[in-house]
Amino acid sequence: MSTEPYKNVHLLNQSNQLVGLYTIIRDKNTARPDFIFYSDRIIRLLVEEGLNHLPVEPLTVRTHTDKPFDGVSFIGKICGVSIVRAGESMEEGLRDCCRSVRIGKILIQRDEETAKPKLFFEKLPEDIAQRYVFLLDPMLATGGSAIMATDVLIKRGVKPERIYFLNLICSKEGIDKYHAAFPDVKIVTGAIDQGLDENRYLIPGLGDFGDRYYCL
Amino acid sequence: MTASNTPSPTILESTNVAKVHHSDANGHHSKSKRFQYLPPWTTPYVIGVGGPSGSGKTSVAAKIVSSLNVPWTVLISLDNFYKPLNAEQRRTAFENNYDFDHPTALDLDLAYEAISSLKEGKKTTIPVYSFVEHNRIPNKNITIYGASIIVLEGIYTLYDKRLLDLMDLKIYVDADLDVCLARRLSRDIVYRGRDLEGCLEQWERFVKPNAERYLRPKMKEADAIVPSLTDNGVAVELIINHIKSRLQQKSEEHLKELIELGHSDLVNVSEHPSLHELVPTNQVNAIITMLLNKMTSRYDFVFYFDRIATILLTQVLSDIPVYEKCTIETPEGTTIPDALKCDFNQITAINLIESGDCFMHSLKKTIPNIVTGKLLVQSDSRTGEPQLHFKLLPPDITNYKMVLLTEAQMISGASMIMSTQVLLDHGVELENIKVVVFLATEISIRRILNAFDGKVDIYVGKIVTKNELNRCDWAKARFVGAKYFGW
Repeated sequence: MSTEPYKNVHLLNQSNQLVGLYTIIRDKNTARPDFIFYSDRIIRLLVEEGLNHLPVEPLTVRTHTDKPFDGVSFIGKICGVSIVRAGESMEEGLRDCCRSVRIGKILIQRDEETAKPKLFFEKLPEDIAQRYVFLLDPMLATGGSAIMATDVLIKRGVKPERIYFLNLICSKEGIDKYHAAFPDVKIVTGAIDQGLDENRYLIPGLGDFGDRYYCL
Repeated sequence: MTASNTPSPTILESTNVAKVHHSDANGHHSKSKRFQYLPPWTTPYVIGVGGPSGSGKTSVAAKIVSSLNVPWTVLISLDNFYKPLNAEQRRTAFENNYDFDHPTALDLDLAYEAISSLKEGKKTTIPVYSFVEHNRIPNKNITIYGASIIVLEGIYTLYDKRLLDLMDLKIYVDADLDVCLARRLSRDIVYRGRDLEGCLEQWERFVKPNAERYLRPKMKEADAIVPSLTDNGVAVELIINHIKSRLQQKSEEHLKELIELGHSDLVNVSEHPSLHELVPTNQVNAIITMLLNKMTSRYDFVFYFDRIATILLTQVLSDIPVYEKCTIETPEGTTIPDALKCDFNQITAINLIESGDCFMHSLKKTIPNIVTGKLLVQSDSRTGEPQLHFKLLPPDITNYKMVLLTEAQMISGASMIMSTQVLLDHGVELENIKVVVFLATEISIRRILNAFDGKVDIYVGKIVTKNELNRCDWAKARFVGAKYFGW
C-alpha cells in the first residue's frame, strides 16, 4: 500500500485516518497522553509496513479439521535498533508486533567541541549480521545521527538491503542525504515534510518528539 | 430453546438448491430477480386472546407463551392502553362510577398503532397503566423490539376491526358470567386494591351489561372459542399445536429466503466495490497461516488474532469520513491551515456474540474509549432458523458516523444479516454500517450484498470462495472464538 516518490522510500498510504492521526500529533495543544497514544498508532503502522517487506517461504500447516492449508512463514530473524532516546519510543510499537524481539541501542550526541555527532554508546545483538534490522528514530531531519547509526550497523556486518529505517516524519533533504550514503537502505515513513528551518528543524514537523513523548 | 454452536447446515449447504430455483427452463439465470430480506420480526405472528373479565384470558395467554417457550414471544395486555383519565374522571373512578368496561375506555387507536408498528418490525413503545392511580404511569413505557410472536390479551381484543385484521389467530375465552364474577372479585380486591362493595357495584352497573352488549357478539370473530381454564386443556393444546405448525412454516420460509439470498448474478463477488478484503501481503499471509495451524498454542493464537484484527480495523478506519478541517499550530510555531480532522469518537462497535468479542482488544488498542454494544443471534438447533436473543445497543446509536459490526467468522451469514437489520430498525443508516469479519465464506458475503443492495461495506481478513469450500472445510466450523477464549 505504499507509494514511492523516491526509490527505496515506502510512504504509508495517505488515508484520511493517517492524515488525521498526524493532525493530532502535530498540534501543539495535544496533551501528552494523546500524543503518546496516537504516535504509537502511527509507529505500529510503520512496523507493519516494514514487516510486509520481509521475505517468506511456503509453509503447509494442518488445520483443526486436519485439512492442510498452504500458507507462508517468515524466513530470517529480525531485530530492532533504536537511536537513544527518541528512537526508544518506537520500541513498544515493534514489540506489539514482534514479541520478545531483540533490541539494540545506539547513543549519538552532538560533540560540544566539534559540533558534530559523536557515537557515545552501542549495544547490539551478537548475531546482528544475520538479521533484518529495523532502525528506529522518529524524525529524519538532516540525517546526521541516522547516517552514523547506519554506519555502525554496516560495520557490524549488517547488509544495507536488510536495513529498514522507520521514522514518522522525514524531510526531502534528509532522504537525499541519507540515501546518498546508503542507497540500498529502505526508508519507511508516514510523512515527508516541506523542509527544514534555519535551526535545522522539520517544517511543519511536530516539535521535539522525545520531549513530547517522554517529558512534556 | 437450545441454541447450537455449529451453524445450520441447511443454510450453508443448500446453495445448489437455490441455484436451481433461480434458473429458468433453459438454464439461464433470470436477471430481473429482486432480492430482499425480511427478518422474522417484520412479519410477527399475532395472536389475539379476548373474552369477558375473569374468564381466564390471562391464563390461556400465559399458557400459550410458556408452551411455545421461545424468547422472542411477547405478551401484551390491552389494559396498557386504558385512556388516561382527567381529574373529573378520576374522581368518578375512585367512586367506582367510571365505566372501565366500555370499549371507549380503551385507546384502541393507540393499540392499533402499536400492534401495526410491531407488525412492521419496528421498535415500538407502549404505555404502562396503573389501576391504583387510574392513570398512565408517567415516564414509564415498555419498549418492544424483535418479537416474532405477539400475544395480545384483553377483554376487547377482538372488538376493533383494525386490530382483528392484524391478527393471525383469534381466540375467545368463554366462561359463565357467574364464574367470571367470582374470579374478578378475588383479583380486584387482592391485586388491584379495590373494596368488595365497589367491585360488586361495578359488576352490576358496568361489567355485566357491557359484556352482554359489546362482547358476546364478538365471539363470532374468533377462530377458536376456548372454555374456561379448568377444563380447557385439550382446546389450548390444539391451539398451541396449530401455532407451532404455523411458526414452523414461517421459519421454513425465512430459511428459504436466506438461502435464496446466497445466489445472484454477481459473478465475481470479490470485485464488488463494497467488499474490502485485506491485501494478502507477506505479513497478512504469515499471520493467517499461524491462525489456521492447529498446532499454534492459544497464547500465540490470541497474539496473532489481535494482530490481524488491528490490521483489519486500520483498514476500516482508513476510510473514516472527514467532517471538518481545522487550523493547527505545531510546537515550532508553524501554522497548518486546512488540516484534516478525524473524530474517532464518532465510531462505535457492536460485537456479535459469540466471537465478535475477539475484536475487543484490538478495538481498544485502536480507539481507547470506544463505545461498544452487543447482539446475540443464534440458530435454533431444531430448525436452523436464526433468531435474535439479546441486544444491547449504545444510546443514540444513530449519532455515530460508523457502526462496526464485528464477528470473528461468517459462515452462513444469517446472523450478520439479522444484526444488520437490527441496526437498520434502530435508525442506523445503511451506509454507516461496516461489517468487520476475520474469516468469511463467499456465500455469506453474497447474502449480505444481496440483502442490503450492496450498500453495506464489508471488511474481511480472508474469504473462502465457493470452489475452495470443500478443500477449506475449516471455514465451515467455528473455531476462532473457541480458541481465542479457550472454550
